[in-house]
Amino acid sequence: MSQLRPFSKLPALNTATVLLVENEEQFQQSLAEALVEETSVTVNVRLSKSLPLPTDSDDSRPRIDLVVFIINLTSELSFQSAEASLKYLDPGYFLGKVCFMVTNGRNASVPMERLDAVRKLAATLHCPLLFAEDKTPDGVASAAERLWTILKVAAGLVPITTALYLSNLSRCTLPPDIDQPSFN
Amino acid sequence: MAYPQNTSDSERSSLSDQSVSSRSFNRSLRVAEKKRRKDTAEDPFFLALKYFSDVEAGTPVTGNDELERNLVLVEKVAHSKGLSPEAISIMLEFAMSLRMGNSPCVRVLKCLIPASLVPQDAIVRGVVWLCVGKIPIATQVLFIKWVLTIFDLVDAKDQLRAIYGFIFSFITEENLCPFICHLLYLLTRKENVRVFRVRKLLELQSKLGRQPFLIHLLSLYKVFCPELVTLSIPSRMKSGFRNHNSTWKSVLTGVQKRNGFHIPSSVAFTIKDKTSSRKRKHCHLELPALTSVANKEAQTEQFSSKKVVPLVQLHSFSQLLENLHCIELPAQMGSLLGSTLALHYLDCVQDESALLRLNFWLGYAFHEEFLFCGDGGTTQNSEEALQFLNKLLSAQHFLQEGFSSSESFLYKFLKVWDGSLLCPQILALLSNIPVVPSSQIGTILFEPLMQLFLTSSLFFKCGLMECLNNMLLKWLTWHSVYALEDDLDISLNSHTSINMTLSGFKDSVMELVHFVGRLASVGLQLEGCHALLLSFILDFYETVCDTFQKYGLPLVIVPPPGVFYPALFATDPVSVDRLAYIMYRYKVNLMSAKSQEKLTKQAFHISRQTFCEFNQSLVVMVNCLWNSKMFNPGMAVQLGDELLLKSNVPQYWASFDLIHHPAFMSYAVDFHQKCWPERQDMDLSSIKHSKPWSWYLEYLFTQGYEGLKHFFQTNISQQMTAGDGQSNTQQK
Repeated sequence: MSQLRPFSKLPALNTATVLLVENEEQFQQSLAEALVEETSVTVNVRLSKSLPLPTDSDDSRPRIDLVVFIINLTSELSFQSAEASLKYLDPGYFLGKVCFMVTNGRNASVPMERLDAVRKLAATLHCPLLFAEDKTPDGVASAAERLWTILKVAAGLVPITTALYLSNLSRCTLPPDIDQPSFN
Repeated sequence: MAYPQNTSDSERSSLSDQSVSSRSFNRSLRVAEKKRRKDTAEDPFFLALKYFSDVEAGTPVTGNDELERNLVLVEKVAHSKGLSPEAISIMLEFAMSLRMGNSPCVRVLKCLIPASLVPQDAIVRGVVWLCVGKIPIATQVLFIKWVLTIFDLVDAKDQLRAIYGFIFSFITEENLCPFICHLLYLLTRKENVRVFRVRKLLELQSKLGRQPFLIHLLSLYKVFCPELVTLSIPSRMKSGFRNHNSTWKSVLTGVQKRNGFHIPSSVAFTIKDKTSSRKRKHCHLELPALTSVANKEAQTEQFSSKKVVPLVQLHSFSQLLENLHCIELPAQMGSLLGSTLALHYLDCVQDESALLRLNFWLGYAFHEEFLFCGDGGTTQNSEEALQFLNKLLSAQHFLQEGFSSSESFLYKFLKVWDGSLLCPQILALLSNIPVVPSSQIGTILFEPLMQLFLTSSLFFKCGLMECLNNMLLKWLTWHSVYALEDDLDISLNSHTSINMTLSGFKDSVMELVHFVGRLASVGLQLEGCHALLLSFILDFYETVCDTFQKYGLPLVIVPPPGVFYPALFATDPVSVDRLAYIMYRYKVNLMSAKSQEKLTKQAFHISRQTFCEFNQSLVVMVNCLWNSKMFNPGMAVQLGDELLLKSNVPQYWASFDLIHHPAFMSYAVDFHQKCWPERQDMDLSSIKHSKPWSWYLEYLFTQGYEGLKHFFQTNISQQMTAGDGQSNTQQK
């Protein structure tokens, strides 16, 4: 089983690389286009349907600073695929270099259990969980901006901050159920 | 069927009232009407309707091409233009009578999309057919769901209210119960609340468990007749009834958009906003039901001897005052938001049912439009949502308090928010929420906000800081308005009557201030002490430093080092000046608290820790800016001597005094040039001598640095020479 390792390669100067993993391959393209518009440093965006990544391109691939799992909540497959991909990541990634991005979070057809499952997954892995509005241009731009905020830190571009520090502070927590009768 | 009859009735009666001159006009109208009728007689749609009204019971369905053709035609019209009130009556009668069995019935119900209004009589007749009891239960559910969907389009509610008891009787049917509860919720008035009904509901509750639909109905009953319902109702309830109108809603919306949903002006509500045309949501939609009730007032009075005045008939404040005791609320409570008169009513009346119903309406709208949207949220950023939230905000601003439904909506929304959707409105709503108990504030508010704050852009960070500052300001204002001096018990929200002890309130404020302190420290670190973010953070601390003097809250919390040092070493003089002002205000607050403590024994106690922290910050500031004694032993920031020597900074102890501080260096240079214009080589240290130093300070103060002025006037003893000014920091 080939795992992706966070520190097996040297970082390039003024470069940040992000890997977007999405089973549907719908949102990652527009997100990538919005991300590379950042001009202050070189942003490399790698796209993948799932992990593991093919081994033959191992050498040409730059060091990946941040892995983003995009989960479409309307599809169970999307969640399962992300969950299955997780084991191809080196544990070092979970020290602040993984985040989850969820789309369709406010859709009526999404079962509450699936959202809870995603939340639980992110919480147990101590990763941040972002929500995104992938249907509107503003939503895409905002999602890209938020990813860039995390990527900057993960790529070591922000002085006196580390990826682990940010991720630890912004990691997902399991909220109490407001609807429970005990909540009063 | 009864509906056309009705219109001609009213036509006749109105005719008799008409003056002679207008009769001829009416006659010509009637001629035109007759001609129109002749034209429609050949219209295939008209023929289809005629087929459905005349068809014999027991006509076979299978292989009946005529039925199929007519039904398809009606469906086509319904989905494109919607059905007229008469057509609705005919089709509903056909369906509910089960003249051709159940299968066409379901099909007809699914296509009953009203073009404008739905006649009340049709629904009453539908309920009558329900009572007959031949209809399969799934179809009954479908019918009630349909009624709920079009409820706001029903032209009057008086007859429906008259058969309240019949509708109530269906509550025992388990599958119908949730929907019947919802319908009853919409229909219930005070006179409907009876002991036997309450008993029935309680009995159902013990059988079915604490179902949200039962609790909602009971809570409404409790508002009307608190003496009948002794049950305790949870203050935060699961939001409303379930969304069950998705079958028709999208089609209905489409049809109404296409039609422009034009209601004749005679039945339009005065505060109607023509641009918004969707049902149930977004404020003052048309309120057809309201005015029809007003028109049929004579009828209403048969059922209730009490005279009621609909809100819509009131046009001035004095009228409102005269009729305050007998106001009839509109069916769509959201319409209250758009009318100032209605808001006045909400503000001054003690009747909680109005607020409960408004909150119910709002909770439902929020739930449907923002949390669980059928279309996945594509239309969310639309003008409509924006207008709705703005209207809501201005209503909250008017009432000076938030609605509880918007509060519980926010807690849910924050957990699925992307941080940019309708951001200004959401943050404004958030700043209106009432004080959250300190035991819950962390999980429901701080955790989602923390996650959003740290992963968002600089501008979101600034926006959230501003929002939290406004939130604190509102909480403090509530405190200063509602605090009762004697028993230290404050009622923070006049309507929801959340009672909170002073210590509970203090705990919540403390939690909030500490939370913002944490956010600010990390935020400044992540953004490289950005001046804009720092400015918003200092705004917040300008509120915090004055809690005792300005708002009478006995609480002083000093800023954390993560905020204090970035502000002290900021590269822009404005931040340093504001920090000086904040420290000056802290000192004033602490001194007055101290003197009060001496005066009255029972005054509040400020912990030694607070004084220590404040004094330490003060010493650092004075030593830094004034005494040029940076890095003195005993100060908070300490560095080894060898390390400082290694840095090769000449006179490192003076590098942050008012002359060499990066924020003020340009002033020092400017002052030096003005003071000694003939000097060729600049020696900034020469300002440090006693005379030019006092001139330099004067010069800085004339540049508008009032904060520094206050700070030095209160903290530096005047008689001391400038060179070794003594800090007056011994407060403990």
